[in-house]
Amino acid sequence: MARNPLKDKIAVAGVGSTAYGRDLARTELSLGLEAAVKAIADAGISRQEIDGICGAGMTPLAMGGAGFLSLQGALGIERCTWVKNGWLGSAFVYAVEAVFSGLCDTVLVVQSNLRGTGMSRAAARDPFRLRAAQYGDVGGDVGLGDFAKRWVHSGEPYAAMMRRYMHDYGTGQDCFGLMAVNNRAHGARNPAAVMRNAITLDGYYESRMIWDPMRIADMDVPVDCAEAFIITTAERVRDMRMKPVHVHAMSLGGARVGEFYENTLGWTENAFWVALQGLWARSDITVADMDLFYPYDGYTLDAIAVTEAAGFCKPGEAADFFKSSWDFSRNVLRLNGRTEVNTNGGGLAMGRAGGSNLYAEAVRQLRGTEGERQVQGAQTALIGIGSFFHDPSAVVLRGC
Amino acid sequence: MSEPSDDEVFAHFHDVRIDHDNIAHYRGLMAGRLLINRCDACGTWIYPHRPLCPQCLSWNVTPTQVSGKGRLYMYTFIMQSRDPGKPLREPMQAAAIELAEQPGLRYLSRVVNCPAAALAHDMPVALTWIEENGRLWPAFQPEGDAHG
Repeated sequence: MARNPLKDKIAVAGVGSTAYGRDLARTELSLGLEAAVKAIADAGISRQEIDGICGAGMTPLAMGGAGFLSLQGALGIERCTWVKNGWLGSAFVYAVEAVFSGLCDTVLVVQSNLRGTGMSRAAARDPFRLRAAQYGDVGGDVGLGDFAKRWVHSGEPYAAMMRRYMHDYGTGQDCFGLMAVNNRAHGARNPAAVMRNAITLDGYYESRMIWDPMRIADMDVPVDCAEAFIITTAERVRDMRMKPVHVHAMSLGGARVGEFYENTLGWTENAFWVALQGLWARSDITVADMDLFYPYDGYTLDAIAVTEAAGFCKPGEAADFFKSSWDFSRNVLRLNGRTEVNTNGGGLAMGRAGGSNLYAEAVRQLRGTEGERQVQGAQTALIGIGSFFHDPSAVVLRGC
Repeated sequence: MSEPSDDEVFAHFHDVRIDHDNIAHYRGLMAGRLLINRCDACGTWIYPHRPLCPQCLSWNVTPTQVSGKGRLYMYTFIMQSRDPGKPLREPMQAAAIELAEQPGLRYLSRVVNCPAAALAHDMPVALTWIEENGRLWPAFQPEGDAHG
């Protein structure tokens, strides 16, 4: 018989439904919100008790529609430590596994359906349904007709956020530059990296401006690549061929603003902070115990945010902290004289893998198999990957 | 002038995802009015365009014209076009405008009639309108400037 540790441990506490009709002249989100409000009332809870949301969508990050990003914002739910989209049978099961695993305590599941243009000839004549089908994907019309929708999902606002960070904390760009120098120095030692040339801080400042004040050296390098992992139980892994690396604790994060990035919450209120706080609430290993640190570096701004959200230093203090943590012999960061950062060069040097190369590198370092690049005696790793707005993860891995 | 019909809004904004939750906003743009949803029950301004108040969960939400006053919360100069076939002639001044109506209520727009070096965080700005390919769009300029 298969393992079934969740047997009779998880329960359904509320249900909510909308009317059913061939043309209710409403959006997926509007219908989803009505069902959600009714389910919350049926359960008799405050919506702020919800700390997990499974929205409707064929892809994990379906923006617009009744996805978790829109639902959380539209319902004014402040903080979630687990979010996901699903459809058909999956959403319900995802929610149960999330509660069972301890990633969250109370999940709102919303599934919203519209009569599609491909399902009905009458629907195919409805201009609202036609337009939705035309722009069905992530944000749909982002960056097309309406400039105001350009930052529904975009990199450009990160440049504006970088400028605002420097303004609010009275700091320059050195923290971003030092992160780039660190990753490029590690990349120069990684034969798999596409950027093998190290750079200096001066070189960082000379790199081409893309979205002022963000430079090309602040951005990960788009490449073709793939990473894969096999994940199993601690019990089973004992009999397998490789030295195991254990998942000690993890968290996701969701904040009220997940789309329309101009509405970004404060520097310390976005999804990175929610995820890292969710992690520390679950982890016995602390930030001071980390041998390895893998902050996502889609932009250097992300890596600074993860560093500060993790608590390595206070908000706005990354520049001074990095300068006091600099290993001049190798031109890399050693946080507090100990923690090595993005030891494979990350996205900035190895190439853009959406952070999956950070998980892969952490596993190999904790196995102790990285040869010349091996951080001797590394036993603990903190990984923080994602966006200020969506898909943040915070994970502690442990070797043995 | 009568209000544009749904079909006219769809035709005018042929490249925008018009839906039941945002069509009133786009109808307003056609008339040179910037409309943001506001809750009738508690007064909260709601953006992006959604039918439910996130503050009090009321469904009584009305598209309401904003004053057009605001401050420049954050901005970037876009130096590189997304389309390699259409390079930018000059950097695009993209800014999150914090509207005067409510803290954190921001609208993404362009800053016009303002040299790059004069942009500053929290500077007061006011709504103006720019024409692009036969359509009017909101933009913001330093407060007190003559109409652009």
